[in-house]
This record gives sequence, structure tokens and C-alpha cells, in this order.
Amino acid sequence: MSLNQIEKAQGVRVRSSQDLAAGLFMLLLAGLAMVMSWELPMGTLRQLGPGMLPKSFAVICAFLGALLVLSSLRFEGEALSGWSWRGVFFVLGAACVFALCIRGFDIGPIHVPQLGLAVAGPLVILISGLAADDFRPKELVIFAVAMSTACALLFKYALSLPIPLAPWLLGI
Amino acid sequence: MDMFSNLALGFGVALSLQNLALCFAGCLVGTLIGVLPGVGPIATIAILLPITFGLDPTGALIMLAGIYYGAQYGGSTTAILVNIPGEATSVVTTLDGHQMAKQGRAGVALGTAAIGSFFAGCVATLFIAALGAPLTKLALLFGPAEYFSLMVMGLCFAVVLARGSILKAFCMIMVGLLLSTVGTDLETGQERMTLGFAPLADGIDFAVLAMGVFGFAEVLRNLENPEARDVVKTKIGRLLPDWNDIKQSVAPVLRGTFIGGILGILPGNGAVLGPFASYTLEKKIAKDPSRFGKGAIEGVAGPESANNAGAQTAFIPLLTLGIPPNAVMALMVGAMTIHGIIPGPQVITKNPDLFWGMIASMWIGNLMLLIINLPLVGVWVKLLQVPYRLMFPSILIFCCIGIYSVNNQPVDVAFTAMFGLFGYLLIKLGFEPAPMLLGFVLGKLMEEKLRQALIISRGSFMTFVERPISAGLLVVAVVILVVALLPSINKKRDEVFTE
Repeated sequence: MSLNQIEKAQGVRVRSSQDLAAGLFMLLLAGLAMVMSWELPMGTLRQLGPGMLPKSFAVICAFLGALLVLSSLRFEGEALSGWSWRGVFFVLGAACVFALCIRGFDIGPIHVPQLGLAVAGPLVILISGLAADDFRPKELVIFAVAMSTACALLFKYALSLPIPLAPWLLGI
Repeated sequence: MDMFSNLALGFGVALSLQNLALCFAGCLVGTLIGVLPGVGPIATIAILLPITFGLDPTGALIMLAGIYYGAQYGGSTTAILVNIPGEATSVVTTLDGHQMAKQGRAGVALGTAAIGSFFAGCVATLFIAALGAPLTKLALLFGPAEYFSLMVMGLCFAVVLARGSILKAFCMIMVGLLLSTVGTDLETGQERMTLGFAPLADGIDFAVLAMGVFGFAEVLRNLENPEARDVVKTKIGRLLPDWNDIKQSVAPVLRGTFIGGILGILPGNGAVLGPFASYTLEKKIAKDPSRFGKGAIEGVAGPESANNAGAQTAFIPLLTLGIPPNAVMALMVGAMTIHGIIPGPQVITKNPDLFWGMIASMWIGNLMLLIINLPLVGVWVKLLQVPYRLMFPSILIFCCIGIYSVNNQPVDVAFTAMFGLFGYLLIKLGFEPAPMLLGFVLGKLMEEKLRQALIISRGSFMTFVERPISAGLLVVAVVILVVALLPSINKKRDEVFTE
């Protein structure tokens, strides 16, 4: 049997789950963009409308996605690897906590005052630090305090950026 | 003679006490962050962007340029001492540089890299000064059609020169272009793909995208693969190369500077080719090619000079045409825009102080790097031993404060976290996100130029092929794509990028 026939005999199967997922992702993204820009007028070639480019880009994205899907069936490639949810949760969670604390927020009945960098800073470091496999609690606490102080001095005083420090305590 | 009076003006600006201090500070912190393993120049600039916010535009740009060189040099230091390249351009340095370090010649490798880079930097600065003014005049010949074609060509180069699969790099460019269309349409004022969400009306913020994808997502990637840090245990040794080393490295430095400088001007990340081309050339013409990969000093001197020359001449398309050739320069565009400067041919006439001041400060920055780095190598080595579990929380808090400070909007930080997730997804799917940033920055400009060109030509696409310069640029774009897709070249390309 020639090589070609062997390949045929194996039939269609996914040879690279990573490429397949990437292709599907591109198709999904293109679809999303298409739906979101559906209402926008295309305009004419002489006077391009706001919808022309988003839709054209979406079509190209979809085409590339389809190519990726096809190539994932044809060529060997990498397989998808698992997500590390721990990193995603703690690192991105820390950023969200910072966003919520720095100037305070109101969601329904919950009211958080402007906590400022004095609280948000250490929180970011403490929460994100939990993402490391080898974190050491004591070291992390000391580091959080030291790093926040350094950041406050650097950004608030050396660079005089208007970032609230601790309005509830110091009034700045 | 014009060039010298211009340079004199530039040095007048750059040598003011404040700007000298800013240049110094930029180089220092740039190296400081850039030397951390796993933090490349893109991440370094994104992280350090906020510290320039309080400054006047000239000072801020001088500092940014300093940060840029510092980050580049920091990347080489990590490549030599830890065998972790910060970015594509320092991959080559790991080959021989790390071997030299293992043989106890780390100091000489670092010294040669610094001196070679300094020389390349000097030549490139003169090159920019000489070419800056004439190229800006050339830019005035460019109509919208030419600009559009030039950007298309730049993006084609970026696709071809990206690491990994060409198809996936193409995908990333398109995603970047797609993201750039989010927000209010400039001409009709209609909101596009914002879902009626007010913070998106101005489009996706550049800093948010860059820090999300290169700050947060990069942290997530590194957390997942705990890198085996191969920090050199042997002594650093003396820093200054001896007479023998100098004799061996003079010619490679000269050749590297030339190759890197020329390739750096290419729109679309030509700079990344410099070190590879230089290394290949040195290996080809060496009397004993087998020494390469085992600590040949030419393998450090040539590529490092090419790297620095390219890093610097990459400013030429940005400063003269306003078109960033690679992701790092795209970041510089974002930084300039935050300071209210739109890069392009008008900068040189409107703000000559800024233009020439920045060019002069490039030279000063290179000199400072030489002065800072050689005595401070010990400090950098200490920094290399900071464990990652302390490094990434610091990166995170810097990013958070930085993004918040761009607009003083907490919601931006949450957005960045979202883009962090997006970036992580891209990494998981095997995409390399750098081309996306380039596409994103070029997207808005491309749309504007496309519209203008079509209005002028009354809706005929033929304008892009009828105008000679535009047609030429498009032909180059097509040729480069076709050549890259030829199987034999494709194979070679893979070899180069996996070496």
C-alpha cells in the first residue's frame, strides 16, 4: 500500500485537538462579531459604512477558522492541555478585588467604602500569592506589606499619581 | 550638515539635567524588570508604562526609550546567565552565550554583548538621524492608498516572521484587526459591537489589552510551567574582554550591526531576523564552525549587535511614517498616544525638540546601559534568584496600579482581568499573541486610510494597484507570503525558529 492509501485507510480523525479547538474558537469569534455587527450598515465602496470592516474581518476570521479545523484533521499537531484553574482563579480574582476595593463600590445592598491602595495593595499580593504551588504564608504577609508600602511611596509620592491611599483612615 | 545641527538640537534637549535623569532612570528600571526571567521587553514596557504618566511628553518618551533599551539588554543578560530568552530576538544569544557562562566566561559574554550593543547603538543612532528627515519627506508623498498598502505589507511580514504556525499568526492579526473595530465609528459616530456598554464606546483601551494579554496571561502561563532555572553557578569572571576576544569579535560586531540595522527598518518585525541572520552568517564564514554552540564569542558579539541595531532602527518606520513595525513598537505607539503624541511624519516638524531629543537620548541611553550594566552585573545576578512566587504578585500589583492610573477607572482593571483570561485562552489554543497587538494598533489607522483612499478613487479598488508605490508594496506583500508558503522555505523557517 502506498503512503497515500494508508492515510486514506486511517480515515478522518482529529490529529491535533489544539488546532481543532483553535479553529472552532475562530469560527465562534467570527460568528459573535457577525451577530454583533449585523445591524450596522455596510455602506457602499465609495462611502464605507460602519459595518463593512467588522463584517469583512469576521468573514476572513471564519475562513481562517475553517482552514484550521481542516488542517487539524489532516496534520499531526499538539493536543489540548488542561487549564490550571487555580492560577486563573487567584490571579484574575486578585485583580478584580483590586478593582472593587480601590475606589469602593455599591452592588445592591452591599456597600464598600473607598478602601484605597492601603487595603487593595496587600489584598492583591495576598490573594494572587495563593496561586503559587510553593507559597509560604509568613513570607507572603511580610512581602505584601513591604511591596504595598513601596508601591504607595513610588506611585503616590515619587510619581504623584492621583491614586487614593486610604481615604477612610488618612483622608488621602 | 542639517543632520548635525538637528543632532545638536537633540543633544541640547537630551542633556538637560532632568532628561538625563529620566534616561538614566528608564535604563535602570528597564533593565531591572527586563532581567527577571520570563519577563520580555513587551511585558516590561507594559508594566512600566504608568511610571511615565506624570511626565511631560518629551521626558516621558526619553524615559520610555530608556526602558526599551534596558528591557532589551536585560533580556540578553537573562539569556546568557539563565538560558531563558526574554523574547525571540535573544534566543540566539542563549546558544553560545550560556555556554560561555558555563565555562566561567559569563563576564566576558556580558561585556562583549554590552560593548557590541553600544557600538551598534551608536551606528544606528547616526543612521536614524541621517534617514529621519529624508524619510519624513518621502512620507509626504504617501497618500492614503500607499499607507494602506504599506500596512498590508507590514502585516504580511509580521505573519511570515512570527513564531509558530503561519496560519495561526494570520489568525492573530485578524483578531487584532477585529478588536480594533470595537467602539464608536469615527465617521458616522455609530457604536459598533459595544453591546451598549458605555466604557467600550471609546473602543478597547490599548493599555488594557496589552497588560491583560502580556501581563496577566503571561503570569498564568509561567505559573503553569515552573521553569527550570539554570542560573549559572560558576563565577562571573572578569567583564572586559581581553585582546584576543576583541580581535575575534570586531568583525562580527561590524557585520551584525549592518545586518541588524538594515533588517530593522523593514516594516513588520524585520528586527527579529537580525540575530538569526547574523548568527547564521558568522557560522558560515567561520574557519571552524563546530565551535558554535559551544561558547564561541562571535556567536554572542554578532547577534547581540544585530539585535540592538535592529531594535533601534525599528524606530524609523514609527517615527517617520507612524507605522509600528512590531509589537514592541505598537506598544510605543500606545504609550505616545497616551501622552498626546500621534506618531507620524508631522512629529518632526511640529515637535522637533521631541523628535531629535529622543534620537539623541537613544545614544545617551546606550552609553548609560554600558555604564550601568558592567558594574551592576552582581545585582542582576542576585535578582535572577528571586523566586517566581514573589515575582508575579509584584508584577500583578504594578499592572493593577498602572491600569487604574491610565484613566482612574477601576472598571479598567476588571476589563484587564478579562483580557488576561482571553490571552490565557489564546495561549492554550497555541496562538502567539504578539501579532494581535500589532493588528490592533494598525487596525484603526488602516480603516481610516482605506476609507480615504476609496473616497478619493470614488469607490474603485483599482486605486491600490494603479498607483505605482502602492502596487509595488502590495507585490512585495504577495511575494513574501507566497515564498513563505513554499514548502521548502517553510521547513527552513521552522528550523530557524526552533533552533
